Amino acid sequence: MTTGQMGFFTDTTLCIGCKACEVACKQWNQLPDDGFRLTGMSFDNTGQLGASTWRHVAFVERPEALPGQGSPLDGAKLADGAFSWLMMSDVCKHCERAGCLEACPTGAILRTEFGSVYVQPDVCNGCGYCVSACPFGVVDRREDDGRAWKCTLCYDRLKEDLVPACAKACPTASIQFGEIGELKERARQRVEQLHERGVGEAYLYGADAVNQPGTEGLHAFFLLCDVPEKYNLPPDPVVPTKKLGESWRAMAWGIAGLAALAVGSVLSARSGP
Amino acid sequence: MMRRPDEQAPGSAEEVRRPGEEVRETIPPVDGRNIDPEIGALMGEGALQRVRDVNAPPHGEASWIGPPPSDVPDTPVPTYYGVPTLKEPVWKWYIPGYFYLGGLSGACAALGAAAELMDGRAMASLSRRCRLVAAGGGVGSAALLIADLGRPARFLNMLRVFRPSSPMNVGTWIVSAFGACAGLAALPSIVPVPRTVRRMADVASVGAGVIGLPLTAYTGVLLAGTAVPLWQGARRALPILFACSAAASAASLLDLFPARRRASVAVHRFGAAAKAAEVAMTVALERQVAAVPRVAEPLRTGVTGGLWRAAQGLFAASLVTTLVPGWHRRLRLFGALLGTAGAVALRFALIEGGRRSARDPLATFVQQRAGGGAREVPELESPRRHPESERSGAAAGGERGFQLTDRGQHA
Amino acid sequence: MAEAHPVGFRWVMEAKNRGATIIHVDPRFSRTSSVADLYVRIRPGSDIAFLGGLVRYVIENERYFKEYVLHYTNAATLIDERFRDTEDLGGLFSGWDPKEAYDPETWQYEGVGGVVPATGHKEVFAEKGAGRVDLRGVKVLRRKEDPTLQHPRSVFQILRRHFSRYTPEMVEDTCGVPQALFLRVAETLCQNSGRDRTSAFCYAVGWTQHTVGVQYIRTASILQLLLGNMGRTGGGILALRGHTTIQGSTDCATLYDLLPGYLPMPHAVQDAKLENYVRNNQPATHWWSEMPKYIVSLLKAWYGEAATRENDFGFGWLPQLTGNHSHMTTVADMADGKLKGYFVMGENPAAGSMNGALHRKGLRKLDWLVVRDFPLNETAEFWRTAPEIARGEVRTEDIQTEVFFFPAATHTEKDGSFTNTQRMLQWHHKAIEAPGDCRSDLWFAYHLGKRLKAMYAGSSLERDRGIQALTLDYPVLGPHDEPDVQAVVKEISGFTVADGKPVPGFTKLADDGSTACGCWIYSGVYADGVNQAARRKPRSQQSWVAPEWGWAWPANRRLMYNRASADPEGKPWSERKRYVWWDEAQKRWSGYDVPDFVADRPPSYRPPPDARGLAAISGIDPFIMQADGKGWLFAPSGLLDGPLPTHYEPLESVIPNPIYPEQQCNPARDEYPRRENPYHLPYDDPRFPYVITTYRLTEHHTAGGMSRWLSWLCELQPEMFCEISRELAREKGVENAGWVTITTARAEIECRVLVTDRFKPLRAGGRVIHTIGLPYHWSYVGRITGDPANELIPFVADPNVSIQESKAFTGNLRPGRLSFGRRAATDGVELRQPEPPFSPPRDKPGVRDPKYLPAQEPPK
Repeated sequence: MTTGQMGFFTDTTLCIGCKACEVACKQWNQLPDDGFRLTGMSFDNTGQLGASTWRHVAFVERPEALPGQGSPLDGAKLADGAFSWLMMSDVCKHCERAGCLEACPTGAILRTEFGSVYVQPDVCNGCGYCVSACPFGVVDRREDDGRAWKCTLCYDRLKEDLVPACAKACPTASIQFGEIGELKERARQRVEQLHERGVGEAYLYGADAVNQPGTEGLHAFFLLCDVPEKYNLPPDPVVPTKKLGESWRAMAWGIAGLAALAVGSVLSARSGP
Repeated sequence: MMRRPDEQAPGSAEEVRRPGEEVRETIPPVDGRNIDPEIGALMGEGALQRVRDVNAPPHGEASWIGPPPSDVPDTPVPTYYGVPTLKEPVWKWYIPGYFYLGGLSGACAALGAAAELMDGRAMASLSRRCRLVAAGGGVGSAALLIADLGRPARFLNMLRVFRPSSPMNVGTWIVSAFGACAGLAALPSIVPVPRTVRRMADVASVGAGVIGLPLTAYTGVLLAGTAVPLWQGARRALPILFACSAAASAASLLDLFPARRRASVAVHRFGAAAKAAEVAMTVALERQVAAVPRVAEPLRTGVTGGLWRAAQGLFAASLVTTLVPGWHRRLRLFGALLGTAGAVALRFALIEGGRRSARDPLATFVQQRAGGGAREVPELESPRRHPESERSGAAAGGERGFQLTDRGQHA
Repeated sequence: MAEAHPVGFRWVMEAKNRGATIIHVDPRFSRTSSVADLYVRIRPGSDIAFLGGLVRYVIENERYFKEYVLHYTNAATLIDERFRDTEDLGGLFSGWDPKEAYDPETWQYEGVGGVVPATGHKEVFAEKGAGRVDLRGVKVLRRKEDPTLQHPRSVFQILRRHFSRYTPEMVEDTCGVPQALFLRVAETLCQNSGRDRTSAFCYAVGWTQHTVGVQYIRTASILQLLLGNMGRTGGGILALRGHTTIQGSTDCATLYDLLPGYLPMPHAVQDAKLENYVRNNQPATHWWSEMPKYIVSLLKAWYGEAATRENDFGFGWLPQLTGNHSHMTTVADMADGKLKGYFVMGENPAAGSMNGALHRKGLRKLDWLVVRDFPLNETAEFWRTAPEIARGEVRTEDIQTEVFFFPAATHTEKDGSFTNTQRMLQWHHKAIEAPGDCRSDLWFAYHLGKRLKAMYAGSSLERDRGIQALTLDYPVLGPHDEPDVQAVVKEISGFTVADGKPVPGFTKLADDGSTACGCWIYSGVYADGVNQAARRKPRSQQSWVAPEWGWAWPANRRLMYNRASADPEGKPWSERKRYVWWDEAQKRWSGYDVPDFVADRPPSYRPPPDARGLAAISGIDPFIMQADGKGWLFAPSGLLDGPLPTHYEPLESVIPNPIYPEQQCNPARDEYPRRENPYHLPYDDPRFPYVITTYRLTEHHTAGGMSRWLSWLCELQPEMFCEISRELAREKGVENAGWVTITTARAEIECRVLVTDRFKPLRAGGRVIHTIGLPYHWSYVGRITGDPANELIPFVADPNVSIQESKAFTGNLRPGRLSFGRRAATDGVELRQPEPPFSPPRDKPGVRDPKYLPAQEPPK
């Protein structure tokens, strides 16, 4: 069964932090560099996703052991002091309910036939509302040209039946691209496999609506081995529009009151002080 | 090598060039894309990005150069080196400016329309003044909005679509409609026009009054419709607060001009009630937000906290001036200024506070851990009660998170 | 491996996913460690102790693969009774003479009377028996053996005695590895070796760049032989090479002392006669006895018609060695003004090689320098942006060197082959025309040769005959007269002179001048006139060994010595590890791969005692290149620093040698005592209390020539930094991402700091030892610049292969930045303090300079 809905499954237990995805993305999409400065955050000198960084590898150094990862031995327990180094290649999540898309006032952001969320640079007028509306802090406005930018799921490559640049470049199959349904199945099996092998920590982040009701599931979901915050992912993200009803209602009350106030004050003035 | 004193290298650190500096200059001008235009064509998805200064980091100078991973402060919930989870709002001062101006003109139009309908003859000057303020405010608002765009030339793209899910889109329609009505309504008082047009203007004035109402409050929804923890936390109070604040600022402005007794009484009562409500709403808003203390921090500490308290104080003071019985021209002027200052301070406090809130990853994490994420969306039940999710492990993640939190605190 | 070979590492992850156990031994917790099952933090420069400990564990616990060891290694062979071990002589082997060289005579097999030749090492002109073919292992087949392995002089017993010191306690004290962890590694390794299972070792320059680098690999070889992991699937020792096709360049002789195919470079000590050369290098037995065919075919390939039997096939025209002409020696000579010109192609010594200041001094003394590279790298820019010039010590106008820069074509701009670490050649096709004046190395070498030939055409001097005789007759193509690579491949692969038909392989080469072959081990890569390296048959369409993907030397053999994958009777050790076996019906060896053996030689064959050449290969001699056909647990020749690996401390170490207190360092090491190259020899020296090791990051390539000009890579690792433990940071008051100054006896650099738990102090030699990690990718030109770590590294070399010691040396770390006045050539506070005395003596009396002998009492 293929719905034509494509996506990423990023398995962090396979990531070796080579950053090939970052470079492949920049090269294919012809993105400029982000400037050269050492952050001091382990080997992460990109820091976060941005207008010209559509893939970003996070490096988490934590004083906790990471069990097995699938083979009989567990080194961390024996080595001096429990320690592990988690890596995760982050990317636009292409949410099922996308904050940026629903917030975009110009219709510049749309959902493609592949299920990805796409910003049309020739339509975007840089109002910046999507930047604040994204619960993952993905979209960013490049002040140099005043437009919002983010991962396009390599729309141009998908059009040519090519795999997105990052997935193509990933040497360890940590980034897997495919039909979303199959990916989810593969992901669930991987989690079960890891659980069997003693990696109880492993779980899926944003795999579907149940797993992440706020976004009703991500087209780029992850297999993580620690709480989302460690990877700078929100624990329970929600597309803001889901809560907007309350605000509209409040507004209704507000303006009703205002109208009453205006009329009231005039009438009271007419009936004399 | 061991160097004898007499062969000390000449020149101090200052005089000596850093190695490689001048060579870096000899490298051909680059735009950070590593593409030789002679050979390669710019046609990638990101090819349209413009690069002004190749050496300027797009996020500005890194404000988050991290401590050693191991020394990241032991927060109740872990963060990623304290790097922001959300992107800061990119809006400049135009937006808070617009919030003030838009609200002001909307409220004026409403009051003016009410005056015309209820007591036209007696309050002709007031309604005329309201029409002018509304029209001016409408034009000013549009100008500010356009100025804030990354691509001002494409302002009209806002009107390509009608998208109820986007407060900004709805707002743009409101502003445009309001601007049109208010402009037409103000026409007769600026240039002599034929009767028929004056008729239309009167109708338009009422229209402006009606459209002015949402104009005062939708901006609250606009802020609430973001991922910024502070604004999301305040989403129920914001629209009402903005409505009240709009009325108050309108009254404050109108107070500045002398008016006939009846009109000024109306404005005075309008303002008094609005200011009272405004003060109440600020308290309500802060209480709502403070459900998660971390989220309320921008309203309590730092510059933004100061602004917020200042706004509250100014409103209160302004309210007091209006409550003083009798007729004191000076006092009213003073009260008007206080009210206006408060209204402006309020807008900036909220916008800047939002920026701070977005910069603070803990605000997002703690808020969501405390149930301020998807879990509080009415039609959604908590994922943790879902048997389905147990399998998919989301719950595992969630539960683990809370355990970690505890551990973090004990440590 | 994940750090420097991420793409190859995908297969490690694949294996891991199928249940393989990944053990990572490294001073630095790297990307590899992050996914390893077992990470072992080790003190830099102590690996022989660790591996030696494993060897001892395997022997003492009887965990070795008995049948394999007995039949396929020289364990049973008896050694000359005059042999003395480091056990007996306190850290030295017998045969040491004050001329700082070993004489291997006493290391020989008993009853052989002469040097048992080791295949493919430097020409043995210095060794006893050189030039006397009767002594060169003629009687190898008469060597004495003790199948019970009990004889005290049997290799096995010598081995046991030699490694008896390497106990778990000793490993802990020497390497800083907790015993529990060490035993866990040992147990895992043993459990995963044998008939049904095999273990593989992967190493890179972390093992080789030491004054005992070669012995590191030897220790691993001994271990793998004992465990029976050689010549079998999933086993072996994999050398991860540092650059694309550096394997290929070694095969085709970039090294000064080798001709293509690891034929030794002739020495000038005797008349340049082919017969002398052959007599010095040809063993009487086994495959290397074929080498005359290979040298003659090589000469025919180079000199063509001009090479005749009468003129020794032009052997005399070959350049000949007058001594050590390795990289460091050459640069030292350069600095002494002994060299006029220097070609630097695809290398960046000014930034990428040890003691850059000395390199640049050498470059300044040249008449001319040719640099071929992509960007104007540090070597090309040494005359205007080097630190000493920025510092004002050297003025550009005083530099005599004339520098020529030639832009080079990248691999996408030319056809060619990559030889990977598994000896597999894979062809790459030109994708785009090289821009501007960029040309391929082939183009450069070819046209340079053509011009030289033109210049020397008129000469009647005998010494110019070589250049005149060079064929250089490849057809040229395209607008730039690019030589036809296919023609070169054909020549390398070999052909019969008469009809120019490609030969199927090296077995068809002859020593009568009827065949020509540019590199015998590559013979067959152009078999049937087809470029075998360009084959791209998907794995789905062939066996799992995939013999039709690319081409592997020798003879498209994917696994060398694969005769060892079958037991002495020729049956697979186990079904699971079935690979190559004796097919009784066919009376031939068969299997999934090309058998690495005489195709029709039955396992039962035993040679007559006077057999010569290939006839001497017994049916149970898997290691056919060796004169005795066995895997060498004990190396009677071929090594200049001992027949068995011995733990010596790095030249610069912070502790005395815990295992051999009397002998601190490798006695045979090559030192370069010069003013610009001071050594720091004391230990327990407060001036230089820390161990420094250098390495690579995934984000950059070696000295940065291919990455520091590419902003997409620059932004990923923008600044030079060092990695230190939190403990050291606290001790020194250093902030994460702050600046520090790092000093060694040679130089001083500044860099940022990463304070991380990936580095930890460890206990060795009864002391707490801090390690400072330095990536060496930065230098003074490029899109991003930083101080080069290589400035810090001394000129000191392993005697066998002249490799520098850049993985373990001593230094100091101070918070803050240095003033440029002291950059890169330290007069730092450290060196103004007095040198503490040594105790106990570093080296045995007479081994090295007397000044290293104990002077005063040990410091309290």
